[in-house]
Amino acid sequence: MSKLIPIPKLPGLSLVVGFVVLVSLLWFTPASASELAQETEEYCLSCHSNADLQTTLPSGESLSLYISSEELQSSVHSPIGIECEACHTNITTYPHPSIDYQTVRDLSRSYYSACQKCHPDNYSRTMDSMHAQAAEAGNLDAPICTDCHGSHYIHPPDQPRTLIPATCGNCHIQEFSIYQSSVHGNALKQEANPDVPVCTTCHGVHNIQDPRTQQFRVNEPDLCAGCHANQEMMSKYGLSADVYSLYSLSWHGVDVSVYQARWPTIQHNSAICTDCHGIHDILKPGDPNSSVNPKNLLVTCQKCHPGASSKWTGAWTGHYKVSLQRTPFLFYVDLFYSSFTPLILWICGIYVALQLIRLTVDRARRSLR
Amino acid sequence: MSQSKSDPSSSTSRVKLLRTFPRFSVSQRWEHAILLLSIATLLLTGLPQKYRTAVWSQTIISSLDRLATIQLIHRVAALVLTGLVLYHLGKAIFLMARRKLPGDMLPTLQDVKDAWNMLLYLIYFKKQKPAFGKYNFEQKVTYWFLFFAIGIMLISGYIMWFPEVITRILPGGAIPAAIMAHSTEAIVTTIFIVLWHFYHVHFERLNLSIFSGWLNEEDMRTYHDLEYNQLVREPRSNESSGDMKL
Repeated sequence: MSKLIPIPKLPGLSLVVGFVVLVSLLWFTPASASELAQETEEYCLSCHSNADLQTTLPSGESLSLYISSEELQSSVHSPIGIECEACHTNITTYPHPSIDYQTVRDLSRSYYSACQKCHPDNYSRTMDSMHAQAAEAGNLDAPICTDCHGSHYIHPPDQPRTLIPATCGNCHIQEFSIYQSSVHGNALKQEANPDVPVCTTCHGVHNIQDPRTQQFRVNEPDLCAGCHANQEMMSKYGLSADVYSLYSLSWHGVDVSVYQARWPTIQHNSAICTDCHGIHDILKPGDPNSSVNPKNLLVTCQKCHPGASSKWTGAWTGHYKVSLQRTPFLFYVDLFYSSFTPLILWICGIYVALQLIRLTVDRARRSLR
Repeated sequence: MSQSKSDPSSSTSRVKLLRTFPRFSVSQRWEHAILLLSIATLLLTGLPQKYRTAVWSQTIISSLDRLATIQLIHRVAALVLTGLVLYHLGKAIFLMARRKLPGDMLPTLQDVKDAWNMLLYLIYFKKQKPAFGKYNFEQKVTYWFLFFAIGIMLISGYIMWFPEVITRILPGGAIPAAIMAHSTEAIVTTIFIVLWHFYHVHFERLNLSIFSGWLNEEDMRTYHDLEYNQLVREPRSNESSGDMKL
């Protein structure tokens, strides 16, 4: 028991031990701890969380250097440990190396190549895109990764899906507003419809191609068919899923398929879906403003067939099966040929076969006699 | 009027007389030749267009220039065929107006009976083929089948050629109907010509009377018994040989 009684005679010993411990702490931690801290987000934010932090570039533009800690924490990178220096590779400590960017755009265009390190596939796809071509032609406003995805506060680009058209709409203002009033855009806006196409559904994501080329044109019906030939999806909305297969059999469709297979780059104007239905402004055929509404159909046809008169639109059977109700004349012509052709074939075949038998038998008999 | 031709190869001791009977006028023979050429051209230039998605067609239509050429040839041949049809109809109207159109080609009840008897003969219910006049029912079927087939082909062809003009008069449904009729009728007609016509003029016997204009006595007796008997009794003059005098 006596051993548990503290020894009041030696107060200096605990002081010495405490001193040694403290000194040893000073000895070990500060050197390594300060180096680690410099490369962490925390370290950077110690200055950059100041909302007033900014600098002026040689172009006269002021560049805000403020980073919101909360937003950074909710972005995709920071929580999984991808911090500032992953992209800002040239900045390891303070003071930073001097900035040699003339403009804010310069800075963005220089930094976005950092995305390539971790996202090489999407990066190289982007290099094949219409946007990269525009940049190569000298348009520095052509979008780079960060223009669509953001730089510091990156979130999944399609959550929610309604975000996508808004992102593209930052630059493509007119297309965005037209799209929003279309049957597709409206359904997205009103009910966050999961099936309607957004920009990227048709144009692709990273390797977005020029939609004005002949190649894009001949492939366009297949693009629409991606959804409109999908029986399951179309039945949800009471739409026919046969529109594409019937179009493929029509005059326009066969023509386009031949050009698609043979001469995909040669300019050709046989109608594809968008020629009649519109592109970003597609409306329900029942909508009085729709280009394929019976009221407007003739004007739409006249775009390619200037001599067409009011009776012309009755020729259109491209999306309908031949039926007695809708196209009685065509129905009877079809009925006539589907019964007439085999009938002629059989009658001729049987008659000639009988003739042949009788002729051969008679000749054989005569020669045997 | 029947002509006599001596066989030059036979010796003087045995002269073989080959009696021939006029069957087709020069005009009719030319009509057939032009018809044959224009239909063959239309078929050869039309099939690659109908089957434009097929590989064999694409070796023919290998470029857009070729397509344009093929379409041009098709349309020129169509115009030739149109001219021929107009000539043929015009001639028929001309002869009709003069009450000189021979009724040989018109279908009669006798043809139905002939067809029935022929069928019985073919299935060994009868020993003898029915006796025929100038045109038997097989030849009438050929003529009238092609008459309507060409009519359908021409009408539907012009609808496809001038769709915008045609639909000022006809309802728009005429266009898809014409497209369907034109391509299907072409195939039916081809099958018909190959099976029916080629059998009768090439296989059953080689009948070149549409090119030469005459038939020999043996063929006349075998295939046109009634006409033969009639001609032997009262030979017809050239004026009434079934066509205009040229």
